[in-house]
Amino acid sequence: MKISRNWLEQFVDLTGISDQDIASRLTMLGIEIESFENFSEKYKGFVVGSVLEAEKHPKADKLRLCKVDIGGEIKSIICGAPNVAVGQRVPVGLIGALVPHDQHDPEGKPFKLTRAKIRGVESEGMICSAYELDLGDDKDGIMVFEAAAPLGKSLAEYLELNDTILEVSLTPNRADCLSHLGIAREISSAFSKKLAIKKQSLSESGDSITGIAKVEVIAPDLCPRYSARVIKGIKVGTSPQWLKNAVEKVGMRSINNVVDATNYVMLELGQPLHAFDLSLIKGKKIIVRRPLNSETKFTTLDGKERTIGPDMLMICDKEKIVAIAGVMGGMNSEINSETADVLIESANFSPSSIRKTSKTLGLSTEASYRFERGVDPNLTLAALDRVTQIITETAGGKIANGVIDAAAKKFAPQKIELRVEQVNRLLGTRLAAGEIKRQLDSIEIRCEKKSETVLTCSVPTFRGDIEREVDLIEEVARVYGYEKIEDSLQTKLAFDTRFNETDATDELKDFLAGAGFTEIVTNSLQLTNVASFHTDNFVTIANPISEDMAAMRTSLLPGALQTIKLNLSHGLKNMKLFEIGRKYLLSDKSQTVGNFSERNTISLSITGSADPLSYDRKESEFDIFDLKSEIERLLRHLKLDNWDFISYDNDKEYKQSLKLFVNGIEVGIAGRVSEMALENFSIEQSVYFAEIDLSEIASTKKKINRYQPLPKFPFASIDLAFIVNLDTPVGSLMKSLKSIAGNLFRDISVFDIYFGEGIPEGKKSVAFSVVLGSDERTLNDGDIARFIDNAESKLGKEFSAVLRKQKS
Amino acid sequence: MLGEIEKLKAEATASLNQIRTSDDAENFRLKYLSRKGSLAQLFEKLKDVPKDEKPAIGKLLNELRNALESEFESVRKKVEAEKSRQSSKVDLSIPGRRRYVGRKHPLTQTADEIKRIFISIGFGIADGPEIEDDYHNFEALNFPPDHPARDMQDTFFVKSETGKYVLRTHTSPVQIRVMENNKPPVRVIIPGRVYRNEAVSARSYCLFHQVEGLYVDKNVSLAELKGTISFFAKEFFGSDVKLRFRPSYFPFTEPSAEVDVSCFICGGKGCRICKYSGWLEVLGCGMVDPNVYKFVGYDENEVSGYAFGMGIERLALLRYGIDDIRLFFENDLRFLNQF
Repeated sequence: MKISRNWLEQFVDLTGISDQDIASRLTMLGIEIESFENFSEKYKGFVVGSVLEAEKHPKADKLRLCKVDIGGEIKSIICGAPNVAVGQRVPVGLIGALVPHDQHDPEGKPFKLTRAKIRGVESEGMICSAYELDLGDDKDGIMVFEAAAPLGKSLAEYLELNDTILEVSLTPNRADCLSHLGIAREISSAFSKKLAIKKQSLSESGDSITGIAKVEVIAPDLCPRYSARVIKGIKVGTSPQWLKNAVEKVGMRSINNVVDATNYVMLELGQPLHAFDLSLIKGKKIIVRRPLNSETKFTTLDGKERTIGPDMLMICDKEKIVAIAGVMGGMNSEINSETADVLIESANFSPSSIRKTSKTLGLSTEASYRFERGVDPNLTLAALDRVTQIITETAGGKIANGVIDAAAKKFAPQKIELRVEQVNRLLGTRLAAGEIKRQLDSIEIRCEKKSETVLTCSVPTFRGDIEREVDLIEEVARVYGYEKIEDSLQTKLAFDTRFNETDATDELKDFLAGAGFTEIVTNSLQLTNVASFHTDNFVTIANPISEDMAAMRTSLLPGALQTIKLNLSHGLKNMKLFEIGRKYLLSDKSQTVGNFSERNTISLSITGSADPLSYDRKESEFDIFDLKSEIERLLRHLKLDNWDFISYDNDKEYKQSLKLFVNGIEVGIAGRVSEMALENFSIEQSVYFAEIDLSEIASTKKKINRYQPLPKFPFASIDLAFIVNLDTPVGSLMKSLKSIAGNLFRDISVFDIYFGEGIPEGKKSVAFSVVLGSDERTLNDGDIARFIDNAESKLGKEFSAVLRKQKS
Repeated sequence: MLGEIEKLKAEATASLNQIRTSDDAENFRLKYLSRKGSLAQLFEKLKDVPKDEKPAIGKLLNELRNALESEFESVRKKVEAEKSRQSSKVDLSIPGRRRYVGRKHPLTQTADEIKRIFISIGFGIADGPEIEDDYHNFEALNFPPDHPARDMQDTFFVKSETGKYVLRTHTSPVQIRVMENNKPPVRVIIPGRVYRNEAVSARSYCLFHQVEGLYVDKNVSLAELKGTISFFAKEFFGSDVKLRFRPSYFPFTEPSAEVDVSCFICGGKGCRICKYSGWLEVLGCGMVDPNVYKFVGYDENEVSGYAFGMGIERLALLRYGIDDIRLFFENDLRFLNQF
């Protein structure tokens, strides 16, 4: 919202208070001033000049050497604009002035005018375009003023811009500040200045209003108050310059002297107003009601046909709708050049009703914005008088005698009790009752002592946001100043252990970073097609920003591939990436929220060389066993030992695909990403990817392992090699060996796999190292021989394996 | 003869000291110690020495030979050792084999630091769902339906036939869940991902991460909130940072405040980062609104408390001097490797 300093001066004396002071004090009162612009500062060094001569530049066809009179002084100025001509009144920037936009800079940065020679001729200033002056978009030529523009006058003064415009960012609770009066009220409190509100004195010279127009409120629940006045015999025309300047300066468009007056008073006092052409109101009667079943369409002032619903409040005459209450008027009763008699509406509407209507219609206006935040119900009459006065001053006419005021009730200040002790308890202060009273008094909240410790506070109706004791406490804190409340930090350090669970992911992230993985963080919103690639049970966004973010991710794979694609495009080929994030699925079972299941998931991606930039080792590409190795390392780190990889058929996402089971529960998948999936990301090298459900493998509960006594007797390590068929799974051999070892089993690993020369066709040699041990005794040669015999015969039976050699 | 022996001794000793290479050594051997060398020639002359002098001269010559031979042997070994050392020397200037270096994302690193600070003063950690119901995301946080406060957060709605669900717009719904499930006192921080339906640009992304804080107990005051936030800010931004609490509005806190820290880029003088104000907005906070206690079944006359919320991206942008929020989600390794 834009606020004009000059306008504020009508309510409060700002002499000696700088723009910066106003901005910082208001900001510290919770009225955030985002920025302010002082136009007399901005246009310092710009004056109105008159072009006396415009000769061709001797060395450049497109430039002209101008002599410009800036009021008693003649300046030589070079101008490149095609429209410059003798006799024009133009804006002239003098040496030292800061031109708001440089036309030749792509970003339009400001620049300072210096004395410059252009092709050998000196220029003592610049004639500016509207764009250069930040007064419009026109870059094609210089601005040309009316012939009567006074020579030498400062530009800001000539354009009536001798003002500062404050850009205010208001929180939705402070509806009372949506006007110059509201901001002035805060300033009067901040600087202890008196707020001056002028009383209007209207000369009502017409007939009594009761004979001219009537108002009936059928829906008082949505319209607690409807006030109106009538002015007859006005002349609609363009607004006088002051009115035009006033509304345009704060960002509104000037329409005509009646509409501008209603907008002016809204900006001044905060009361939205609407003027109807009385001759277009059938039966001269305003009826405030919900629409009839038959009324479903209405054309608003902007010429658009709107579909209206049964809960929207309408302003009607005897036959038809004439306005959507509090949102926008209609074409059918609009003020036009023929309008002579006007009925001015100054009403109060239910905030939630206006908001619903505005949301449903997708139509937000200055009026609806204010109504949905809440307007003072006691403002209708003052605003009505003010706008009536301005209209009669600018458009003439006779004011009908009297005012219509249909009010459901009296709107009296609310009384709220405030406990001094509660103020101090909540704020951590030691304020006395008198001090609290003084603070509230400065914002027009009057307090009486109910007892020594309780104040009865009377809240003015313009502060609809203050309804409870705690709201008053906030006002006390706000006006007293947050900065005066002393910091305190004395809470007890611990009181329970309910929230002491450490996040397992924190520790995992450290582990994975240590294992050479770089953490990535990717978008959890995806294309619907991408989400549905992995499952049909995906979550859909009802109002996505765009189609490529219309679903919640069902896998971390697309994010990883996207990352790999980006980095490949920068010439990076080798990557180890991890992500820990959620997958979102629809579930049959009911979850914490609805039937949405959020699974915390860890993803590992490896691509490129396993040993990048090594100078003496063969560059070997990552393969599925590198991926398995990383997963196994992670599982070992988590002290899980009962895991299993089962290969399964999946031609869609993965080529070599494995399911990971831990303690018999499926927790994840791993594999080489399929060509089809890679093609979607134009990736031409192999990517190995695993995705593991974190909640299944990493408990958030801190697990403390019990100590196991160290083995008393040495272990025996036995190396065994078997010749088996090429297609015999090594994993199965290992499982068998493990079961053969029984309770002597301690560990097993594969140390060699070989086929080719020396091994029969269609066979391979697999060598294992098996560790055996006992808690009771040292194993003897007999134990070991028995194991080897068993292994030889059992594996021989199960896999036709032939024991190749033995070492111990 | 004696003179000749002395001369040879001096000459050979001097030349022994000049031996540097194995060629030098061979030349020395040939010149002095070989069968036709200078020493052998002197032994040749021994037969011309008078008989009575022979034993003494012979002894001298033998001593000289032994001395030269043993000294030569040790010099030769040294030279040989040096030679073999030279030939088998490892080039230690060759770099080590490169390995993958992993690291945590800057957002994680920033969140870790925030968590570390709050855990150090007794905060626990809580967590909650990202797909939320309207009740927890808005209503129980005192955003009534059809209230303009709902415009403060552009919301993604989730398609559902069974109810009104949103992608949480803040981590605050977890406050409600924590209080619903736990009797006071509670003191937690809640890190997590949140969503806003805003066009993606350098300044805003469709999702970001927050850390929420909640402390409800007997007699928790605004002064305590200020003290806690000041402690955090000084730990996070450095002990010389200045803070500014200014009144603001959030439906679920009353009173509410925005917290600014003095711009550490320009030292408060005004720069592009702080938009020439000298201050950087870093978090919102306030005293839990009594209406919230009603929703979770706490007695507002028994307890009071504060809540705060900060954006991890915002803090990371400031901490590392990053000017485009999208960089966090693009995962360009040239970016990630900087932290």
